[in-house]
Amino acid sequence: MTEAVLRTENLTKRFGGLTAVDNLSLNLPGRRLHAIIGPNGAGKTTFFNLVSGLLAADSGRVFFQGRDITGLKPHEVSRLGIKRTMQIKSVFPQLSVAENLWVTRHATKRVLHPFRAASSDLETRERVEHTLEQIGLTALAQRPAGTLSYGDVALLEIGMAVISEPRLLLLDEPTCGMSPAETERAVAKIKQLARTIDIVIIEHDMSVVFEIADDITVMAQGGILASGNPDEISGDERVREAYLGRPEDEDYVEEAIHA
Amino acid sequence: MMTPAVIARVMLIAFGAFLVAVPWLIPVILNKFWVSVIAEIMIWSLFAASVNLLFGYIGLLSFGQALYFGFGMYGVAIGVATLGLSFWPAFGLGIVASIAIALVSGIFAVRLTWHYFAIITVVFSLIFYFFAVSVKPLTGGDDGINFALPPTFSIGGVTGSFSDANFQYFFILATVALCFFLMHRVIRSPLGKAFVAIRDNDVRAALIGLNVYQLRLIAFVMAGFLAGVAGALFAFFGRYASASYMFYHVSGEAVVWAIVGGAGTLFGPVVGTTLFIVIREIVSTHWEHHAFIVGAVAILVVIFAPKGLVGLWNAELARWSERTNDASVKTKLRTEP
Repeated sequence: MTEAVLRTENLTKRFGGLTAVDNLSLNLPGRRLHAIIGPNGAGKTTFFNLVSGLLAADSGRVFFQGRDITGLKPHEVSRLGIKRTMQIKSVFPQLSVAENLWVTRHATKRVLHPFRAASSDLETRERVEHTLEQIGLTALAQRPAGTLSYGDVALLEIGMAVISEPRLLLLDEPTCGMSPAETERAVAKIKQLARTIDIVIIEHDMSVVFEIADDITVMAQGGILASGNPDEISGDERVREAYLGRPEDEDYVEEAIHA
Repeated sequence: MMTPAVIARVMLIAFGAFLVAVPWLIPVILNKFWVSVIAEIMIWSLFAASVNLLFGYIGLLSFGQALYFGFGMYGVAIGVATLGLSFWPAFGLGIVASIAIALVSGIFAVRLTWHYFAIITVVFSLIFYFFAVSVKPLTGGDDGINFALPPTFSIGGVTGSFSDANFQYFFILATVALCFFLMHRVIRSPLGKAFVAIRDNDVRAALIGLNVYQLRLIAFVMAGFLAGVAGALFAFFGRYASASYMFYHVSGEAVVWAIVGGAGTLFGPVVGTTLFIVIREIVSTHWEHHAFIVGAVAILVVIFAPKGLVGLWNAELARWSERTNDASVKTKLRTEP
């Protein structure tokens, strides 16, 4: 097994009386696409917030490629190459689509040039144009990001993740709110990305999860309920009870696996 | 082809030509007094630009920019009157003093955002206002410091000094224009784009790797620089410095000027400042309650043109250019066989 790209030791986060992430020890090996699933309130997004530095853990540690990143600030985590998307789509609404990509590409540089015109940076401009083509938003490049449709914003988010050349990508419900056609486009993009980048994805759409994931971790009440490959998870009685329990969902999962 | 970009360029050139012609043009059509009003408008526009850099570009509403303006003023006045400095060292002292105090207060202030930030900037400026009023030997207290104007330069018998009205006007014009040019460069640079990204969405900005605290501090110090240059110019212009210019009332006026003119646009502060100072100069001679008009105009603009007058103008221009583009497409279609 390759070295863990992301590892946590007894990670805990409490909000008042609620323990959102409870003594979580995870070990995610590299070169695999991991999905984290679980009912609402299982602590999935809190886990992402702890890794990306938006929240400080009460106890426990986080390691990225063997390096302890516990307690680093969001921009420090980001500069190590861990990029994430947000569950509620989050871009820079008053910047154009191209500028969103542009600023993301530049954000990791140590020094932001204070006087040279942004548009004169040819290397970045080519990258932006290439990424626009990749995500299929070339025609909308000059539109303010705040005026895009929901699905296009989600694609822009993926583009922003790609252009920053991440080493680990954390995707928080990337297909949430997308139409079936948009979901298909996003899934194809994620699959393609997974060939070169380590990805951890939180997703509620089971057909998406079972289509793309190599490994699945099921979270419930802040801890790990089960983990394994898609077949193991769909056959796990506890997971069925806790999460996939309702009969109509069971059919849905069966369908998804055999699709 | 009259695209919005061409129209903007033509207007900028016309505006520049007008400013250069002012010392000859204005005495003919109005009187000499208005030349110095226009010089004063340029200085206050620069001060409003400092509010605009913070509020319009990085999303921090400061009600305390007068503090840095005041340090620019006192740097010059104390430099000339107390330390006996000549023009340029005193000018430099004013700017360095305002940058230094902006750095010190910024370290604390930019940890906060929104109303907390607004409150802490007011508090800082109040602390130093009362300090300046009470330390009479240094600042002259309520009376302020009057000083004798040193010449700006003296090369081989040719002397340039603010006592020459034209020299004073062009020195102010050149300095303010240079500052606006620098701001224009910053806005279009990678740094400026990062500022706007932070204004739009600071959580996301951190997640893409921007050091939000550090960038806010840089913007705060830059704004302190602009306010300091304005204050230093105003000290030479008025030949005095006074604590009353550090009061938060002065900061508040600049906020109104910047927002009414159009926060987040380079020339918004110029438009807002010009509008209100012209209103003040015309109305205050006839009616002492000219602040009523200022308030009414501010309320109307905020309701009907939330992006300010320049924002309104830009939107109209974009609509007009879209319409004419549509029209030209239609004509083309019609001429097709």
